[in-house]
Amino acid sequence: MVDVIRTVFIALPKGFYTTLKHLFKKPVTIQYPKVKREMAPRYRGLHYLEVYEDGTDRCVCCGLCAAACPADAIYMEGAENEKGERYAKIYEINLLRCIYCGFCEEACPEEAIFLGHEYEFSNDNRDVFIFTKEQMLANRPKKEKPFKRIIRRVRRIF
Amino acid sequence: MADTVATVTLTINGREVTVPKGTTVLEAAKSVGIEIPTFCWHPKLKPVGACRICYVEIEKMPKLQVSCATEAMPGMVVNTESEKVKEGRKAVLEFILINHPLDCPTCDKGGECDLQDNTFAHGIDDSRFDFNKYRFIRERKSTFDDYRIGPEIVRNQNRCILCFKCVRANKEIFGEYDLGVFQGGNISEIDTAPGEKVDSIYSGNLVEICPVGALTNTDWRYKIRVWKTQQVKSVCSYCADGCNLTLWKERDKVYRVTSRRNDVIDEGWICDVGRYGYQLASVEGRLTTPLIKKGDKQVAATWEEAIGLIARKFREIKDKKGGVCIGGLISPQQDCEALLAFSKFFRTQLHSNNIDFRTEYKMLPEKESPYYSRLTSASFRIADIENSDTILVVGTNLIKEHPIVHLRVRKAVNQKGAKLYTLNPFTTKSGDLSRDEIVHVPGTLEAFLNGLCIGLAEKADGEGNVRAAELKARLEPNTTAKAAEICGISEARLNDLAEALRSAKKISIIVGELVSGSPAREAIAAAIHNLTVVLNLNERGQAAILSRAANSKGAERLGVMPSLSKELQQKLKSMWGGFPETEGRATDRMIHAAKKEELDALLIIGANPVASFPDGQFVREGLDKLDFTVVADLYETETTEKADVVLPLSSWVEQSGHFINLEGTMQRFEAAIKPVGNSRPGRQIIEDIAREFKGGLFADAHEIAREMQELLNVEPRPSFPDAVAEVKFAEEKIEKDYPYPLFVVDEMHHFGHLTERSRSLAAFAAEAQVEISPSLAEKLQIENGSLVRLESETGKLVLPAKISEMLDNDVILISRNFSGTAANMLQMRKKRIDRVRLIRVDEK
Repeated sequence: MVDVIRTVFIALPKGFYTTLKHLFKKPVTIQYPKVKREMAPRYRGLHYLEVYEDGTDRCVCCGLCAAACPADAIYMEGAENEKGERYAKIYEINLLRCIYCGFCEEACPEEAIFLGHEYEFSNDNRDVFIFTKEQMLANRPKKEKPFKRIIRRVRRIF
Repeated sequence: MADTVATVTLTINGREVTVPKGTTVLEAAKSVGIEIPTFCWHPKLKPVGACRICYVEIEKMPKLQVSCATEAMPGMVVNTESEKVKEGRKAVLEFILINHPLDCPTCDKGGECDLQDNTFAHGIDDSRFDFNKYRFIRERKSTFDDYRIGPEIVRNQNRCILCFKCVRANKEIFGEYDLGVFQGGNISEIDTAPGEKVDSIYSGNLVEICPVGALTNTDWRYKIRVWKTQQVKSVCSYCADGCNLTLWKERDKVYRVTSRRNDVIDEGWICDVGRYGYQLASVEGRLTTPLIKKGDKQVAATWEEAIGLIARKFREIKDKKGGVCIGGLISPQQDCEALLAFSKFFRTQLHSNNIDFRTEYKMLPEKESPYYSRLTSASFRIADIENSDTILVVGTNLIKEHPIVHLRVRKAVNQKGAKLYTLNPFTTKSGDLSRDEIVHVPGTLEAFLNGLCIGLAEKADGEGNVRAAELKARLEPNTTAKAAEICGISEARLNDLAEALRSAKKISIIVGELVSGSPAREAIAAAIHNLTVVLNLNERGQAAILSRAANSKGAERLGVMPSLSKELQQKLKSMWGGFPETEGRATDRMIHAAKKEELDALLIIGANPVASFPDGQFVREGLDKLDFTVVADLYETETTEKADVVLPLSSWVEQSGHFINLEGTMQRFEAAIKPVGNSRPGRQIIEDIAREFKGGLFADAHEIAREMQELLNVEPRPSFPDAVAEVKFAEEKIEKDYPYPLFVVDEMHHFGHLTERSRSLAAFAAEAQVEISPSLAEKLQIENGSLVRLESETGKLVLPAKISEMLDNDVILISRNFSGTAANMLQMRKKRIDRVRLIRVDEK
């Protein structure tokens, strides 16, 4: 008898009170894909290649990203451009091999490659996951401010 | 020997080290495994102490000493790792890095850079230098100071740390003066001498020894990073020197070739032909599939069809006319395995002795004279050249033919004080080093050598040399005066040479292609044989006719020749259970037989006789008469055009095998990449044909290795007459209509018919030129680069002229390496010296 009274008069209202309380709270569910979540600033998603203000590649094809890559996902072929400078003729990342560790970003001495916030790139075709240089350049986020150097120390190269 | 060398004992880092007197502290430390960082030091160069990184502390010396230039002294106490030394190294590195750009990501040397490594190991991680770095700026199109100092070398002066290794090696080792240091101090600059280019045959070595990325070469430039590549041990497939190479490859592509130091052969230097010659493996236009002639066209076919057709045709011919109606030519740039398979296929399955590897020689004899054979198979060591005090170079432009032997000769002359005499029908680069550069009238070499023998015999007669009297009697009516007159040299010079040879302690006689390719080779060999007898050369030196291509020696030793020595025949007979009794034909007799329709089919592997046989007319007519021609090659050549079946051949970087160099050393090379397209290595092609024809040649890989070894164990030519040879004096006949002697030779940066496909080698020389002396140019009013017409009895050619400062007599040199120029059309196989007339073409 005591149990029945405790259930009906104490436990049930307590439970309904929690439900009622949440009815008036803002929901935590995000209505993906209609609504997209803001990613953390250091989230590591799809790669992109940065360029200089004049639009030329920052990447010089030094190969340090490929050397740092623990999954061996980066393939690159260098060449000489018409100005006599080194550039990446082919720069490919195998997105299926990539583990999004961000070592490439960290290894890059030219601040050319970054891991962006893009994470929607599922596909039903494996070939699509070879991410080419053109795609990586196109994937660059549009910024209001011009690109700002992260490496503080000014290197006196030229 | 060892106990006669004075030694010194010193202490390095608390260890007692005993080294020969004269050793530097650095080398003493290296000998016991103590590493001292270096930039400007190179084992084969004289020390200069330019970089100061090799500082060590020596007790009782107030300051740090550069170990590379300090001789080890008895009782020295050296410390290479003290605090003072470490401080010194740090300071030096900081100093070197003041102006060094931090462009390692774009620099090709990144990953194998001495400066990177040493800074990482011994340097500091920051700089205290707060000013702008000094920058060399040229009229340039880029932000870099990249500047081509030669066809294949890019210089970036900003990266240079002024170790002067390139300039020193260029002068000391290669004898080139096209590179130097200009200005001074902060703005010192390595640059070419005004108007010069770094285009010597050794130019690639300068890039290899550069410790930083100041000199880079264009074939490797920006293509790949060094840590991504794998290294494959290889051996050069061009000339017979057999330099050891490292191929740097990644994913089925070779990116560059560097030397793999072998002190017995190359001492770490290789020529540019070996360095850039690998490129021809992966150039557009490789044959990738077999072609069969149908009607007038060659159409693509499968290997099964092609091999089936070859086997069927060969069987038909063999059944109808016998195996002797089939001949075979194989390139001496094929590996030993292919050569042995070739020989076994012809001798055991076709029962024919018609095989040869010499497609560039005139009038090969049916049976070699014992004198000639003896000289081609004589024991010869490249390293022994530098121990000789007198060197005689006969009939070869050594720097073109054997660049690494030339370096040894240079070393002997410059560093060991040897006396060099050259004996050629035209002036050569080796002549610059010589005491006397003897230029004889073309075609009179044996007269000169006989004159030399007479001179020596007269001198030696009184000394109780038994052979001398015999030789003198044999050559009796002739005199040195007559010999000198015939070959157009003063008697005094002849006598000087005789005297030099007589008084020498150790002699090297190097004989080259101008003798072995000449129809008079036997007479010249006999004369050289006499010379060796009268000089008693068995005991005091070496004399040899150097073989030409990478595996010419292998072809000789494995019996890829129509007539073999008795011992080799015996061996093959017992090994294969039979040996054809028929007489074999050498290259020109095969072509002659084809012309008379006695030979019906020819199997050609890797050779291009239509372009290289020294009688263009003759070889073209001969090959046209053949019923069935099979040619395997890398590219379409003049010979494949005439073929009924064309097979794609793999180059040497795509297969492994063995080469035997001119010393007789067998060296293994490894495959770097997979065969391009559908091509197959020579050995596999021969085995495929044999399997289809009758049955497999070898049970397994062990059998081929065993057979090879057994053949190589046969003493090459054991017996040779000790007696002197009969030699006649030849006099040069000069025809009035065709006054100038013509020599068809290899272009400096090319070898054989394929190297023109290599992009880098084509950058050095891309087309054939007529090389003439300045005096002849002046006489005929020819300018550098203007067109001239060459006419011989058999053909005509129009080519640009090149006035070569090297030449100073009236001869004409043309290169034979270019497919567009049929230089052999001017030649006749029966003539000893081809002669042409030269006419200026007036351009309108």
